[in-house]
Amino acid sequence: MNLFNIFSEIEKSDAEATERFQFSRRKLLKTSAIAAVATPALFAATVNKAFADSATVVEVLNFALTLEYLEAEFYEKGNMAPGLIPESDKMVFEKIGMHEKEHVDFLKTALGDQAVAKPAFDFTAGGAFPDPFMNYQVFLTLSQAFEDTGVRAYKGQAPRLKDDKPFLLAALKIHSVEARHAAEVRLIRGQRVWASEMETGGVPAAVYAGENNIYQKEGIDLISLTYKDMYLSNGTNQQATEMIVREAFDEPLTKEQVLAIAGPFIKS
Amino acid sequence: MEKINSLTEKKAGPTVPAIPSVERRMFLRNMGLFSASTLALLTACSRDEIVAPTGTIRSGARDASVLADGTVDLGSGDIGIANLAYTLDQLEVAFYTMAVEKAMGVSAEDKRVLQELHDHEIVHKEFFKAFLGSAAIPMLDFDFSAVNFNERNAVFDAAQKFEDVGVGAFNGTGPLIDNDDVLKIAGKMVSIEARHATLARHMIQPKSYFALGHELIDANGLDWALTPEEVVAKAQPFIKQKISVANLPKM
Repeated sequence: MNLFNIFSEIEKSDAEATERFQFSRRKLLKTSAIAAVATPALFAATVNKAFADSATVVEVLNFALTLEYLEAEFYEKGNMAPGLIPESDKMVFEKIGMHEKEHVDFLKTALGDQAVAKPAFDFTAGGAFPDPFMNYQVFLTLSQAFEDTGVRAYKGQAPRLKDDKPFLLAALKIHSVEARHAAEVRLIRGQRVWASEMETGGVPAAVYAGENNIYQKEGIDLISLTYKDMYLSNGTNQQATEMIVREAFDEPLTKEQVLAIAGPFIKS
Repeated sequence: MEKINSLTEKKAGPTVPAIPSVERRMFLRNMGLFSASTLALLTACSRDEIVAPTGTIRSGARDASVLADGTVDLGSGDIGIANLAYTLDQLEVAFYTMAVEKAMGVSAEDKRVLQELHDHEIVHKEFFKAFLGSAAIPMLDFDFSAVNFNERNAVFDAAQKFEDVGVGAFNGTGPLIDNDDVLKIAGKMVSIEARHATLARHMIQPKSYFALGHELIDANGLDWALTPEEVVAKAQPFIKQKISVANLPKM
């Protein structure tokens, strides 16, 4: 795919498009070429209407960028803190930190000069987590909290990007990477892999608010529908079936819920 | 494990043409009614019995259907997308059922993990079955002879591949979804698939780039996404009926 051609097409169909896009063409080519080339059909097919609701898109992407700033700086500090992360776990956190930095760069590029500036963070959350970069268990707890919050935050915002398919796809792709991070961090901590309101693992309860939900669609009672199969398969009782039904779905958080969780970590 | 992905279908096709339910198939087996015309008639009858599913996903979308040659067509619009997810959930349930029963050399912990993955996929599968109602594909038949259930790591490797196809499928079809409820449900499931993939990978190589699925993630930190055609190409070797996504939405 030739990105130059696509951008000429945009300019032809809408003289202001390039400006509204707020992409630096050079930056886009540098950092987005791989993703764009991987999905040329999608990119080409939707490019004409990509900015129909740009105010919403900018708002959602800036919200995501704020969370990515927080995660990226958290891992940057953690990975640099001497003696914090044991040798056995270093690869995981270096890779996670790299992904978060890539998410920051991707979103900043997408937003151009509409990108919000990086806030100043306080990873102690006003002293609630006194020594996140000296105490590995505290670092791990916060890591799980940020990753699980990230998963739920993207999930909550994805439907708002529905009219902008390239960014919806990008958001979904970041979303599942955050879920991979959350799962591996949980395994390192010896936690179960599923977000649960009942087992918060020392993470602030607000991160898992609403995860107890067992109804995904009116009229569909998943406990009744699955109980027999569960029982036949491993003798699971109804209570255990309810837990399985809860944990088979990750629930979204609203932007307000996410900001309430992230707020104490943001100084300005 | 690359051999699994590149495997071509060993059998030419199902010995029994696909029809809309296990019960009906058992009934037919018992009755010895195997003629294509009878099946076509039964299939045609079932088309007339359709009631509106519980979802609001119709909006002109076409239901799943079984074509004359036994091909299972997933339907169109959100019905087609939901049936693609339902196909993968059926596959995963069948795989984990076999893994729990047959896997050799697995520890109690391994077995607990396989059971847990199995249980979640049952929930996903039953959700789609109820959600799609009469628009759903029939129960499919599977062939996992390419998986070496005597090797513990081979079982988890197959698991992570199936789960990652799930991640790629949900990511790739997300932008094709019309109905907000379907998009929300897909979002609630895809991160579970990603957690599953990570767990299965962790069982092979914990605390590694592999566990994080690094080879599927690009230089922007973005996960992979698959088109419906790519999903079927990866899943078809394990499914006896031929699957068609010809009527699914396109990018």
